[in-house]
Amino acid sequence: MQKSTILFLLTSVLLISCASNPVVKDYVSKTPEKQSFDVPYFANAETDYVYKANISVYGNELSGIFIAKKINETTHRIVFTTEFGNKLMDFEISETDFKVNSIVPELDRKILINTLKTDFRLLLRHHFAVQEQFENAENRVYKSEEGSRFNYLFVSKSNGKVLKIVQSSKRKEKINLSFTSENNIFAEQIIIQHHNIDLRIEFNYFKPQSN
Amino acid sequence: MTAAEMADFKKNVNEVSKKIKTLSTDFVQYKHMDFLAKDIETSGKMNFKEPNLLQWQYKKPYNYSIVFKNGKILINDEGKKSAMDVGSSKIFAKLNKLIVGSVSGNLFDDKEFDITYFRSKGQFLTKLVPKDAALKKYIKQIELTFDKDDFTVVQVRLLESSEDYTRIVLKNKILNAKIDDSIFTN
Repeated sequence: MQKSTILFLLTSVLLISCASNPVVKDYVSKTPEKQSFDVPYFANAETDYVYKANISVYGNELSGIFIAKKINETTHRIVFTTEFGNKLMDFEISETDFKVNSIVPELDRKILINTLKTDFRLLLRHHFAVQEQFENAENRVYKSEEGSRFNYLFVSKSNGKVLKIVQSSKRKEKINLSFTSENNIFAEQIIIQHHNIDLRIEFNYFKPQSN
Repeated sequence: MTAAEMADFKKNVNEVSKKIKTLSTDFVQYKHMDFLAKDIETSGKMNFKEPNLLQWQYKKPYNYSIVFKNGKILINDEGKKSAMDVGSSKIFAKLNKLIVGSVSGNLFDDKEFDITYFRSKGQFLTKLVPKDAALKKYIKQIELTFDKDDFTVVQVRLLESSEDYTRIVLKNKILNAKIDDSIFTN
């Protein structure tokens, strides 16, 4: 009898703590074992990160080539072209700065540029300060504050790979970035899914041709 | 090139391009951007049939095919199909004409372009600068390299700026073989 009461109490406590944080529902809070975490996927300045990109936005499909390159300690250059190679947009982005080098008139919309700025900043970011940590049987989750939003980094316990990054407000998930990586250095596939707008971006690594 | 050489070259190219009823060729595309370590390489096959059926088929490193047909663009992206009506878009009509013209060599329209002619390494090179301001936003200059013997296009270079261009090399070209209309579907 006493056992079941304790179980009931424990379950209630767990339910209450989980309900307050939808991103790490079913996860248990832990004392952070590190103060920061580095995501490896776009960190190498030697690498041309080239992906086939498919963007689906409110029922419209757009495809092309996504290119990212780290051009100095803080900044990445990002270019999106058609399959023919015509440049559609060209940005430079860091954690604090953002510059539009060029954009075709058809895509030159503030709302679109701001959305992509948020997405790409999160995608390319290397260093995250850790304030909280959560765990379940498979994953560790590092929570990192960013202004009024929070970034949750899901890392596999078994192989250390960054599986996804969820950006949320206090109550809701906003953006979900999921990664598929074989070596934990380079992501072969990336999916950026928005929750408050109908936008999904898929990147598939562009294997160099062997002739 | 002297005026006489230029006239001779234009005459030869026009004669060859007039005789082109169909054209099928392999291509390798190199996207060059100064900040990248390597050009981005894609390749595939291109088919053209008079007067304006065109298919670009990328086979490596992905399957992506685009057909220009009766004012429409048909796309097949790894099996995912879509169509775009470009009849109303002047800029697409111009781009389409430009692509067809680049491959067939029939681009020497002085109303549309400022054209200069060169001889380079035994080949002929023409540089075309679009006069249309809208088109110029997309392409600053087109460079066509012609084979010196058969006067067909062997390389197209589309320049967005001096640091940024797309180079397309055409090889294994077959002229006037029978191409069925049905291949221009996606």
